[in-house]
Amino acid sequence: MQGGGYLCATSKHFSHYKKNSIMDATNTEQNSLEKILDVARIQSERIAVEALKGDPLFYECITGSEGLSNILKGKNLYRPQLALAGFYNKFGDGSILIFGNTEIAYLKSLSEEKRIESFKILLQREVPVPCIVVTNKNEIDDSLIKIAKENSVPIFKTEQNTSHAFYFLSEFLDDYFAPQQVVHGALVDVYGVGMLFFGESAIGKSELALALVQKGHRLVADDSVVLCNKNNVRIMGTSSSLAKHFMEIRGVGLIDIRQMYGIKAVRFQKRVEVLVHLQKWDPTKDYTRLGERDSLTSIMGVKIPTIALPISIGKNVAAIAEAIALNYLLRVYGYNPAIQFGELLKKRISSKQSDPDFYNEMRSVTWFQGDDE
Amino acid sequence: MVETKVTVINNAGIHTRPAAIIVKTAAAFKSEVFLSRDGYSVNAKSIIGVMTLTAEKGAELILRTEGPDEQKAANNIIALFEDGFGEI
Repeated sequence: MQGGGYLCATSKHFSHYKKNSIMDATNTEQNSLEKILDVARIQSERIAVEALKGDPLFYECITGSEGLSNILKGKNLYRPQLALAGFYNKFGDGSILIFGNTEIAYLKSLSEEKRIESFKILLQREVPVPCIVVTNKNEIDDSLIKIAKENSVPIFKTEQNTSHAFYFLSEFLDDYFAPQQVVHGALVDVYGVGMLFFGESAIGKSELALALVQKGHRLVADDSVVLCNKNNVRIMGTSSSLAKHFMEIRGVGLIDIRQMYGIKAVRFQKRVEVLVHLQKWDPTKDYTRLGERDSLTSIMGVKIPTIALPISIGKNVAAIAEAIALNYLLRVYGYNPAIQFGELLKKRISSKQSDPDFYNEMRSVTWFQGDDE
Repeated sequence: MVETKVTVINNAGIHTRPAAIIVKTAAAFKSEVFLSRDGYSVNAKSIIGVMTLTAEKGAELILRTEGPDEQKAANNIIALFEDGFGEI
């Protein structure tokens, strides 16, 4: 319930959230996580077309193993309608070719000889075609399959219609070629809010994540968090494939959160919505007191609200982390307590003339009820 | 900042025992210590991080240290790699 409702609310209210001057860039200090944590970006530059067979696309390959090791270097998709008809301008940059209803119908309209010729020319360009995707369950002639095999161009078939295929393939390739980085921290889903905790070694990131898991929240990654920039608007986080939900607690050793707390205590991925910089209390530093505005940290160019959280003896950091998450949710839903409080105060000040009964008005209740509870 | 290439020379690679040694050595210094492989960089003071490098024999890693005792930290960790973590 919570997850669904929350997702709904964010998409609807996101623009509203931005408008509320919470993310007012001119009034916020800005930093970049790359600089704070000194991490480098990683970016994939190539992928073998074989990946289209696997998760999440599961395209069926109808040309056997021929050309499955062909390399995709970009994420462009191309519908070769005009190229099939002989117009090659702008064609041939190594894009995946998408054969939808139009291409198939056009090929069918040709004589066998012409069909083979036009298909051949398409595949024998200077920059080789990495693969072809045939959408809408369309059938492709055996003679063409043979040519594709000869030229080591795999043909994949899908039930998706062409626009869906475009959408899914773009999404898949965007993800694959997206900038990524690995940061040292802990990513936890707290009430549906993706919170990334970071800070120096031994400041207590793992311990905090453990405390949150014990309170019923869900661990995404501890220690090495893999972050991925999705379309320059979102940062998604996951764990490294080996570490998954293992955690090191100093003095105890390795523990496996999923085995100990069950499937409800973990998740594989989460959008990073709030950054929490755990740090030793520094008396010379100015910590946020009201929280009217966020400071923002850029992760690979995406700005994310950030809280510098000083750690000191006697502080229940897990409780504060929960409060940060709930406060973030309130603000996503359009309620900023600091602004609300400020407005109440302004109203009170402006309505006040000289007040003979000041102390009575300061009390939240005008009279204490007789039951003395 | 000190940056050096280190190579894993022991047969078993960086399994749990060498990882524990690296982390213990790194944690003794004030400097930040990072190990990276193909751009995948981990904090060398974290045992899970070091293990996720899954460094086999022959793997080349970049060691990076930064802080007041960076040179000493680098030297000590380089020595561990050169010694094959005592497994040769």
